[in-house]
Amino acid sequence: MALDTLGGEDWFLHLAPALVMIATALALFGVDALDPDSTNHRAVFGVTLAGTLAALGSAIALLFGMGPELGTTLFSDQLVADEASLLFTLIVTSVTSLVVLGSYDYLEDLPDKGEFYSLLLLAATGMVLMAHANSLATVFVALELASLPSYALVSFLTDNRGSVEGGLKYFLIGALSSAVFVYGISLVYAATGSLLLSDVGTAVTEGVDQTGVLGLGVLLMVAGFGFKIASVPFHFWAPDAYEGAPAPISGFVSSASKAAGFLIAFRVFTTAFPLGAMQDAGIDWVFVFGVLAVLTMLLGNLAAATQDEVKRMLAYSSIAHAGYVLIALAALKSGGAHNDWVLAGGMLHLFVYGFMNTGAFLFVALAEHWDVGRTFEDYAGLGEEAPVASAAVTVLLFSLAGLPVGGGFWSKFMLFGGAIQNGFWWFAAIGLAASALSLFYYWRLIRALWIDQPTDGGHELDGTPTGLYVAVLVAALVTVGLLVGVGPVAEVAFDAAGNLVG
Amino acid sequence: MVNAFDLVWLIAALPFLSFVVSVTVGRWLPKEGALPGIAATAGSLALSLWAFLTVRSSGAHYENELYTWIDAGGFELTFGVLVDPLSSMMLVLVSLVAFLVHVFSMGYMNDDELHREKGGFPRYYAGLGLFSASMLAFVFSSNLLMAFMFFELVGLCSWILIGFWFREEAPPSAAKKAFLVTRFGDYFFLVGVVGILVTFGTSGFADGGFPQIASHFLETGEGADHIWVPGDLDTQTWFSILGLLVLGGVIGKSAQFPLHTWLPDAMEGPTPVSALIHAATMVAAGVYLVARMFGFYAGLPTVLAIIAFIGGFTALFAASMGVVKDDIKQVLAYSTISQYGYMMLALGVGGYVAASFHLLNHAFFKALLFLGAGAVIVATHHHQDMWKLGGLKREMPVTYYTFLAGSLALAGIVPFSGFWSKDEVLYDALLIGLEQPLFLAAYAMGLLAVFLTGFYTFRMVFLTFHGEPRSEHAEHPEPLRWNTKGPLAVLGVLATVTGLLNMKPVAELIGNHDILYLENWLDSGTAANGGEWMGSLTYHHYGHLVHEVAGLHEGSPPPSAELAPIVFGAISLSLALGGALLAKSIYDVPEPERMTDRLGPVGRVVQRNYYLDEFQVWLATGVTEPVARASNTFDQGIIDGAVNATSSVSLFSGERVRRIQSGAVTNYVLVIVMSLIVFVVAVGIVGGWFL
Repeated sequence: MALDTLGGEDWFLHLAPALVMIATALALFGVDALDPDSTNHRAVFGVTLAGTLAALGSAIALLFGMGPELGTTLFSDQLVADEASLLFTLIVTSVTSLVVLGSYDYLEDLPDKGEFYSLLLLAATGMVLMAHANSLATVFVALELASLPSYALVSFLTDNRGSVEGGLKYFLIGALSSAVFVYGISLVYAATGSLLLSDVGTAVTEGVDQTGVLGLGVLLMVAGFGFKIASVPFHFWAPDAYEGAPAPISGFVSSASKAAGFLIAFRVFTTAFPLGAMQDAGIDWVFVFGVLAVLTMLLGNLAAATQDEVKRMLAYSSIAHAGYVLIALAALKSGGAHNDWVLAGGMLHLFVYGFMNTGAFLFVALAEHWDVGRTFEDYAGLGEEAPVASAAVTVLLFSLAGLPVGGGFWSKFMLFGGAIQNGFWWFAAIGLAASALSLFYYWRLIRALWIDQPTDGGHELDGTPTGLYVAVLVAALVTVGLLVGVGPVAEVAFDAAGNLVG
Repeated sequence: MVNAFDLVWLIAALPFLSFVVSVTVGRWLPKEGALPGIAATAGSLALSLWAFLTVRSSGAHYENELYTWIDAGGFELTFGVLVDPLSSMMLVLVSLVAFLVHVFSMGYMNDDELHREKGGFPRYYAGLGLFSASMLAFVFSSNLLMAFMFFELVGLCSWILIGFWFREEAPPSAAKKAFLVTRFGDYFFLVGVVGILVTFGTSGFADGGFPQIASHFLETGEGADHIWVPGDLDTQTWFSILGLLVLGGVIGKSAQFPLHTWLPDAMEGPTPVSALIHAATMVAAGVYLVARMFGFYAGLPTVLAIIAFIGGFTALFAASMGVVKDDIKQVLAYSTISQYGYMMLALGVGGYVAASFHLLNHAFFKALLFLGAGAVIVATHHHQDMWKLGGLKREMPVTYYTFLAGSLALAGIVPFSGFWSKDEVLYDALLIGLEQPLFLAAYAMGLLAVFLTGFYTFRMVFLTFHGEPRSEHAEHPEPLRWNTKGPLAVLGVLATVTGLLNMKPVAELIGNHDILYLENWLDSGTAANGGEWMGSLTYHHYGHLVHEVAGLHEGSPPPSAELAPIVFGAISLSLALGGALLAKSIYDVPEPERMTDRLGPVGRVVQRNYYLDEFQVWLATGVTEPVARASNTFDQGIIDGAVNATSSVSLFSGERVRRIQSGAVTNYVLVIVMSLIVFVVAVGIVGGWFL
């Protein structure tokens, strides 16, 4: 059969962002084969950036309705193209572009630049496919496609113990989680007789005989997602991996990978496991996600508050944010009038978070580039030496805490507001308390930057890492811009959420 | 073809651009930012005139959703433009005064040696640009929220400019005072904005906006389902509360009693800034806001009475303080407060046209007087104590004659502009006052203030320009250039003739209402050529609301309807002349004496501004501070105590959490698998899978 008939109408347009990235990755392999030592860093970087920007551009163009109509399935319903998939493609491609931009300076003295970029592109492709996945089979394949390059990327600094160790832990826990996840899928298949999300949903609605099998399968899948989004108690790999990984990769994994993981969780649980039927069958996944959300918010923030190292603080803060977004699943209600609001809040938060968190990690990359050090004290006085970058990261951190200086305010507002509207005020209360606590540790970094005196007479900042600077600034500007221009994004998120929870 | 209405936003964007230019590259430009400012405001003026003419030919324009800031389903927060007779007139006025002030500033700042030494011109012109931009955007705002934002920006700019010479002692403190006092009023305004949004779901001004919903409800009782009222509160009472909350901002910005104290201090700013603040921007913003949403106020008799009374009282109260000031700018400052009192009085009695008319006239003659005072100040090497001036008439004829024209207008002497508008204000107040004694009291205070106005105005003129020079600087003033004289001449002509726009007594006498150009203009809600119908923004509609809904009926004055305006015009004219003549007899002599000492204790009280500043300081230190200290103790002891306890608990448990992260992968796997088992067992038991 020709791809055209197999893929469905205009499938290559729907998947343009992924295709562009695959093409770029293949081109990089070609370049790398000819020039294995990547002597011409500029060319490799240029090709990669062009590729990610083209993918980003095509995602935006599709979102503006310049492509085929949305809401169709491709490849015999294996993939789906709707607002949600495009919104998350947008998140992944913009995060990837920022990370590529920041990596140029970061990789300057490192070998194997070509491999780095191609692995990055392949992981991003996997994440984009995760956004499109419409059956449990493609979900699993896409998840693995995103994960395997990520393991390699985390341990990319082969001379660095932390990096290698983090990568190994990530890989081991990942292998365990994949096994658990695929076992969960098999149990769901056994109970419902289908892998297609919509068919699973129909089967569940009509009633399943083996409730226990289905329930166990669902919970095992929750564990799999919990790994991907680094939710407590499946988060243990995350602090070690984020801390050990090259800082741009920490940003990439903690933003893009997490967003993609969340989208498939949203899609699978709203489409394949409709809430009403599942609760009737005694499989109350909303409750499970509620427990995970509360645990993740509390433990993530508490742990972040006690860290001495900036990067590790950000790692835990990233876990805490997964907790906030989990509210989007935990505050759903069977027949609730505001389900779309809650879910849209989660999507919006992931969107804003993509910029805030990547920007913050890229600032750490900047500090690593300058050899500033790892602890809060080491960052003291940077505000005077690098005022622009410090100002940008200050905005990002305040926005992460949810202060109204950036889009982070609106997304938390929508999340908590939606939870309250759906009757889950306690999630909002815990989220607010956790956000207040988060201000404490974000403020520690801000205070170090601007107020504290450097202990040993300041740092010598050499070189002008333009790429990193630009990336941090763009992240900050977009974050601030979303304070004013949140409207269009929120609209897309509402449409996307409305499609899922109808 | 490009429509003027499509370019309205440019009216504010151009001065904003000049702000950006001055801030970024101003210091390398030939006049350090003056030229872009002049070009921008000239552009704004041209566009404003175009918009004005377009309103004339094809009716008003209303577009509330140019940009949607937030769409929350239930209501939207948007930015838009409303160009109707009132706002288009105001746009022309503001951009004209801003343009002239920019031109004058070249003479005042760039040509003056002392000011050159102090420097900072790019900052100055940046401030002026942003000030003009915020005010212009405020004027064409299509809804209350947008108006509030630019209202606040106007306040910020006044802070920047009043404190322009921030290295000296007084200006920063004056700037701070202006900012804090107006902010105090703005708190109420902000609460009012939120209240209006919640109550009506919209804050739009024009048709379909909250003034129309409110007045429609008050008139017919319809549409109650779309109006949110807290608890069992009576709807009209709730509207009155909302109106008063917004009025808080107005009282602060328009320097009405008791929040007027910032304005005299604000004289520390450069004099052209004072002209801009007093004539066209900051202070005018308050009154303009009431006029803009007059459809809301017009149906609320209690609020109208409060507005009228505050206005009448402020007019008299400020005029009495103007009488004893020795500094020429201080006299003008109190006269500003007093004149805005008249406008509030007019609005309080439903005299929408009279208020707008006085706003227009006042803008021209007060800008003229301030620029004239500025000319005197630069010419005499920064002397503004009137007892050190005198005799400037011979050396500075252009300044003298234009200043005289402005003074005649301020004092309300026929046929200068101030006479016609002030007379209309008082006549409107009288008509209502004949039926309602409270309004009659407000009218009486306004009438008495006319006499004082005549007195202090001419005291100022005689002490500054007549007699013999009382210091060597006044003997040999510096010559001035075209850039100071030009604006004075333009404003002098305007101050003389704008009164002819609405000669009410003459119109009544000859029975021809066609010559009431301004009244007809503000009443033209009909769209001529396919423009939008703005029936809810017309003078007719407002008059209907004031009379029928608020129940303020006009009485019939003693003589016949044709003669009454003339008679009462003559009364106020004779009072003004009386004041002026008294000033002449005391001060237009070769050796004028200080009379204030002879007033004894009363004079002292007035000279100290009725100890209001002291009272406000006492309010801050004697009342607010103890309360603040008490809450601080509460905060430190109980709230902070709780927070600290929480955070130490958090940090402690955080330590514990940290210990779980042991670093060994086998431990991780153990915890993960154990948790998974716990989940499965727990959910399974609750869900009954094992049954």
